[in-house]
Amino acid sequence: MVGIRSSHAHAAAVGTLLAFSIFTAASAQEIEHKSKEAVKGAPSPTVTQDELTKAAQDTKQFLHTNGNYEQTRYYLGKQINTANVAKLRPAWIFQMDVRESLETTPIIVGDVMYVTTSFDHVYALNAKTGEQYWHYKHKMGPITTYCCGPNNRGVAVYDDKVYLATLDAKLIALDAKTGSLVWETELADPESGYSETMAPTAVNGKIIIGTNGGEYGIRGFVRAYDAKTGKLVWNFDTVPENSVGVWATKDATGKDLHRDIEAEKAQFAKTGDPYKTLGGGVWQNPAVDLKLNRIFFVVGNPSPDLDGSQRPGDNLYTDSLVSLDLDTGKYVCHLQYIPHDVWDFDAVSPPILVDVKDKDGKVIPGVIHGGKTGFVYVHDRKDCSLIRFSEPMVAQENMWSLPTADGVRMLPGANGGVEWSPMAVNPKHSLAYAINLHQPMTYQVQSNPYPDGKLWLGGAFKVIPSEESFGNVTAVNYDTGKIKWQVKTPEPMMGGALATAGDLVFTGEANGWFRAYNAESGKVLWSFQCGAGVNAPPSAYSLDGKEYIVVGAGGNTQIDFKRGNNIIAFTLD
Amino acid sequence: MLLPYLRAQKEIPGVFGMRHIAISLGLIAAVTAFTAKSSFADGIDDKVQLCSGCHGENGIPQEKSTPIIWGQNEGYLYIELRDFKSGARKNDQMSAIVADLSKQDMKALAAHFAGLKWPNTAQPSPSKDITKQALTVIGSIGCTSCHLDQYQGDGSTPRLAGQQSGYLQKTMADFRDRSRGNNPGMSDLLNAAQPADLDPIAQYLASLTVIGGGQ
Ligand code: HEC
Ligand code: HEC
Repeated sequence: MVGIRSSHAHAAAVGTLLAFSIFTAASAQEIEHKSKEAVKGAPSPTVTQDELTKAAQDTKQFLHTNGNYEQTRYYLGKQINTANVAKLRPAWIFQMDVRESLETTPIIVGDVMYVTTSFDHVYALNAKTGEQYWHYKHKMGPITTYCCGPNNRGVAVYDDKVYLATLDAKLIALDAKTGSLVWETELADPESGYSETMAPTAVNGKIIIGTNGGEYGIRGFVRAYDAKTGKLVWNFDTVPENSVGVWATKDATGKDLHRDIEAEKAQFAKTGDPYKTLGGGVWQNPAVDLKLNRIFFVVGNPSPDLDGSQRPGDNLYTDSLVSLDLDTGKYVCHLQYIPHDVWDFDAVSPPILVDVKDKDGKVIPGVIHGGKTGFVYVHDRKDCSLIRFSEPMVAQENMWSLPTADGVRMLPGANGGVEWSPMAVNPKHSLAYAINLHQPMTYQVQSNPYPDGKLWLGGAFKVIPSEESFGNVTAVNYDTGKIKWQVKTPEPMMGGALATAGDLVFTGEANGWFRAYNAESGKVLWSFQCGAGVNAPPSAYSLDGKEYIVVGAGGNTQIDFKRGNNIIAFTLD
Repeated sequence: MLLPYLRAQKEIPGVFGMRHIAISLGLIAAVTAFTAKSSFADGIDDKVQLCSGCHGENGIPQEKSTPIIWGQNEGYLYIELRDFKSGARKNDQMSAIVADLSKQDMKALAAHFAGLKWPNTAQPSPSKDITKQALTVIGSIGCTSCHLDQYQGDGSTPRLAGQQSGYLQKTMADFRDRSRGNNPGMSDLLNAAQPADLDPIAQYLASLTVIGGGQ
């Protein structure tokens, strides 16, 4: 009999085998709904809207996937700081049953921590000791269609419930105390290519959720559901019935897209607006501005990814920043980064609300987004307009060469300069911290008709095996667009960053290193080897006066980084 | 957002034997679930018999070019039956079989075969060079981003590990020339490989076992 060594599992150990065996059992199609593992019950305090609103000031809890509604990932605690971070050590390590791609952001409510795994398991843990309160395994439907791994990025918390969106396109509410299912709503049909990997956002009694499926010819959406009942409150189609736009020939930064507008217009006359199968997934949480009563999110790529011939027009609102009214889901404004994208250069990293300098140096409410292009885009929050874009954080070569039948080389590769990984900011320094990928790829086009909910790439992306890949951690001043510092990493970066008032930036690497950087200089001040890819965004909290930094180390399917199953909490002595 | 591709393979790991670890809760659950659905069971019993004629009494198909369906993922089995029926996937033998199946039959058949144990066909490991060639292609196209770590697949993505090598080779060639037209995405991905890569990939995948899974 032969066992498999997968490409990244360099250290094969018996422990690894055991972990795999558990994983396989857990991922089988028909899993018992074992919420009864909830032996102890968690001492889950309820979460109020006021707490969610003030999360940016809260140093005890970490209530939102990106820290707060502004999504700054800026934690105000300074107990762990540049002077003492060298002494950071693990407080506990929790090992989960599922050893697959780990993209979860730990959420901390009181002294309970919620983490999720691939295939939609949820754990409630004691945030002080790492002991398990309960473990929920979603009973997965037989059909799941996802492009980039069976990931889950975490839960939302509100009142006495925990909210999760699942690979088989359901939104579910669990009892925070016991982990038992309270309600379940089908968002869309997975047979048509819909799936969920993002964490929901809880606000004003609503649960907001987008959808994956830009590789499957879906029609994307963002929706609000009633937190108590799971009933739909509003729906926004990320692709409007008129998706044509203005036949833009340049991207948002003014670079020529090499579109053949005449050919597109001829196609449009023949086949009409392609909106029904145009993709436009939403991968990450919206930022919420409660004063303006609006949300801001970014929309993913058009379907099929590489073949523009069947989708004439700008393909609104793919590859765009979009703002909606929070109560009604009505459109307010948008800015499209890449009209008629044929490189899968979608907008994925979650937008951040922060005060920025406008062109005249006046401080105004802004929105920033780290693009797959490798630019940090800075917008005016009022009308979504672009104020500036940063220096490129990664090499841009051959942009925008159109994909060819034989494949054309371009940089960034299709994972972009920044993937789904959230940035963090430190408003004191006006810096945004992004993690980057340098992955030369070829872009190959091949035209196929819509395949009824099957994978629809319109070609292929291929890593060039003979070329070097690597990553960066980059600090960008969003008031000037200048790069303040940049540190090269041996592997492309995927996961996310956390900044703290202790003047630190935390982020992890595919090779298992989790590091703290000096926020102003980029100097590495602390490193810890986690044993598997640290490809998840860190969070921070404090309990009994002690600050903790916590992160998942489980590797990544999308780019095949070494898998693991650890949640690791760090603290000072 | 993303896609399938991987980074360059710097180290090519070998393939080596491992002790099989018995399981499987998942399997028991699946069988139980199937029993629970036994209202269809009458209806599909004779159909199951029919399938065995080609796919094997014990899960090992009669012909090398016929796929193993015992222990294959449920969502995938259902989708294939659906596609044979709609004509999106064409095969004379299978098209005749599915012609009279209802959606419920197809779902029940999928659940039934998914609940059986993947057979051990003990296909040999290819040489180091062939393995290396397979892993280089697999690495640059990123097959594991969907077929997962151990090529065990999940949901509507098929298990490839331990599938019949003759079938794998045939169906990959069919994807490439689009005579298997029910997943243009897979066709595009395999067209990013060279014809000479198919045999190494098929041999490599056929020799694999899912650790902790069926054998
Ligand atoms: C006359 C022989 C024959 C019979 C009887 C038969 N099959 Fe098949 N089946 C095949 C062949 C050959 C293929 C491969 C087709 C191809 O190469 O595309 C296949 C393919 C399949 C596949 C696709 C598997 C994959 O990995 O893609 C499924 C599912 C399947 N059969 C299910 C069934 C079921 C269920 C039955 C009984 C209701 C059945 N078959 C009866 C010959 C048969
Ligand atoms: C983006 C996801 C994805 C990637 C990447 C991918 N596959 Fe697939 N593959 C699928 C899906 C989904 C199917 C099922 C096709 C269908 O709809 O019938 C499939 C089917 C197959 C089959 C047919 C199995 C059967 O039983 O008939 C083979 C063989 C296969 N893939 C090999 C590969 C190889 C080799 C690679 C890398 C070169 C690869 N796949 C990459 C998603 C993927």
